[in-house]
Amino acid sequence: MDLLIQVLVNGILLGGLYAVMALGLALVWGVLNIVNLAHGAFIMLGAYISWHLYVYASIDPFLGLPITAILMFALGYALQRGLLNLIVRAPMFNTLLLTFGLEVVLTYLAQLAFSADYRTINPAYAGNSFQLGALTIPVVRLAAFAVALGLTIGMWLFLLHTRLGRAIRATAQNLVAARLYGVEPRHLYALTFGLGLALAGAAGGLYGTVSQINPYIGASLTAKSFAISIIGGLDNPLGVLVGGLFLGIVESLTALYIGPTFSDVASFSILILVLIVRPSGLLGKTA
Amino acid sequence: MSSSGSVLLSLCLAVSAALPLSPAHAQDIVLGASVQLTGPLANTGRYYRDAYQITVDKINAAGGVKIGGQAHKLALKLYDNQSDVNLSVRQYTQLLTQDKVNLLLGPFASNFAIADSAVSEKYRVPMVQGGGASDQIFSRNFKYIFGTLAPASNYFGSTIDMLAHLKPAPKTAALLYADDSFDVSVANGTRPKLKSAGLQIVMDERYSTNASDFNTLLSQIKSKNVDVVLVAGHETEILNFVRQAKSLAVAPKLYSFTVGVPSEDFRKALGKDADYAFGMTAWLPSADLKDRWFGDAQQFAQAYRAKYGYDPDYHAASGAADVETLVQAMENAGSTDPKKVRDELAKIKFDSLYGPIAFAANGQIDLPQDVVQVQGDKLVAVYNGKTFTAQAKYPMPAWGARQ
Repeated sequence: MDLLIQVLVNGILLGGLYAVMALGLALVWGVLNIVNLAHGAFIMLGAYISWHLYVYASIDPFLGLPITAILMFALGYALQRGLLNLIVRAPMFNTLLLTFGLEVVLTYLAQLAFSADYRTINPAYAGNSFQLGALTIPVVRLAAFAVALGLTIGMWLFLLHTRLGRAIRATAQNLVAARLYGVEPRHLYALTFGLGLALAGAAGGLYGTVSQINPYIGASLTAKSFAISIIGGLDNPLGVLVGGLFLGIVESLTALYIGPTFSDVASFSILILVLIVRPSGLLGKTA
Repeated sequence: MSSSGSVLLSLCLAVSAALPLSPAHAQDIVLGASVQLTGPLANTGRYYRDAYQITVDKINAAGGVKIGGQAHKLALKLYDNQSDVNLSVRQYTQLLTQDKVNLLLGPFASNFAIADSAVSEKYRVPMVQGGGASDQIFSRNFKYIFGTLAPASNYFGSTIDMLAHLKPAPKTAALLYADDSFDVSVANGTRPKLKSAGLQIVMDERYSTNASDFNTLLSQIKSKNVDVVLVAGHETEILNFVRQAKSLAVAPKLYSFTVGVPSEDFRKALGKDADYAFGMTAWLPSADLKDRWFGDAQQFAQAYRAKYGYDPDYHAASGAADVETLVQAMENAGSTDPKKVRDELAKIKFDSLYGPIAFAANGQIDLPQDVVQVQGDKLVAVYNGKTFTAQAKYPMPAWGARQ
């Protein structure tokens, strides 16, 4: 029984991390209709930025998150204005091709710049844990979970209750009407993409504190983020949180009861099931 | 080509054919290989690129390979397979059909060696590879594949021997392994050894290659209070495993890993958390291992570090030994003919910086594994298969009790 509860807690904490990883992808996908295949590579880039801040400037990885996010936002804004805007209304295939190319370029640039050595963001407290009855709670995972929760709710409030957030949603829902109300889509698209990358950057910083970083972690993170976005739905950041938690728990329980090789089978089976039963995601509005 | 160009060319050919060949003009012997220079395996792949290059340079500086009284320089034809097995198969085919290299060196990793050895077998050109240890590579009666990594099935052999001499004696064991060829071979070899050593296997779990989450397995290890945890996997997985073990406060009496522990990069990435981790290596840079080209293994390690800025581990030594083995076989055969070199490889016997080189009938070397442990910031050889060479730090203290 203790084991089951421990594994459930592990799954929930893992799910929090999953949710931050997917938030940016879902936002960009929902608003710009771009499935950003380079999303995982941006998470990798964020992880390296946090690692450099920690190793060379001794900035605590959690305090460094805003810096990483701001740098990534600037990169995202520039990339959207300079590059992605060219294909924003092009067929889906072009956006996939461009972002895939971006993924390859980023990965290999990262190997050139940072080498293929494995890095970890490993402050003294990184491995600490505390006991809660028979449960062991890893401090950093809990903190990452808290950040995930904060970012998700923050995003949700931002999209629902601020003028800018509403403008972003309006653009996603009806571009013509939004323009009639004075929304400037070029700026807004760049802002959204910047925001997506800022979230990816934050996710990367958190990822580096619990896992290892190398230039090739991107592709699998993109796949995971993709599955979470589909399962949770693109309309609502809370959906992404639910999707992340759901996936985290399912993977952990699968590893416990069926076997660790089946975790991916379970998560992608659920992805297919969701596509069949609720194509717009668990929390998505049904069309 | 213009007619004047072709006239010029045939003139040159005629002149060069008429001149007696001095040693300096002897044709280079080209060794071909496809190695992981980029992609997820680049981190270990670089050992092979660097080891091949430094050994080829060293041999050339000493005058090259002497075949039939004539000295030949070695040349290396290296492709980057981007950590992609299919690409590496195409590149080995290209090396033999278009580049027409003389002999082959291997890639890193067992699944690559399995696929690529089919190419060397098909074209009947010997490949000496130092990157694949899986028993599967050598179980197909291939005649042209030779391997200088100790058999995967015996990676944990010396570690399990050591367990019997530890106090308090461990009683239960967990065996975790990734689902690729090398690690499955390790697990299949380890299981019966654990049983005959009298340990109870309470967990026997296979996980997906590139898994990043070990929390469930670790929680099980903790709840079953396992004494000994043996993990056969890849370095990325093992880094995650150790970090997550710490964060869940999981401290078995001993844990040991097939890869990572001997390499500098692993200890750097984990810092203090690498302490107490056990591993194994078939090679240590000892001055006792004499070598014709480098002097001994210690000098090899020094030259390697001076050239590349990082320490070689057994992968690098194995790669260097592959080049030396091909050279020795060519000299013994007095020829570069692939068939003749192959026959010499089958019965080769010489001492190298990597240890005594000789192949069993299936083409694989057999070397004992030294048990190593990270102690503080050093890697210490603690058990050589027969006796302790240093005090093993055992049992591992709880994470909270560490300094």
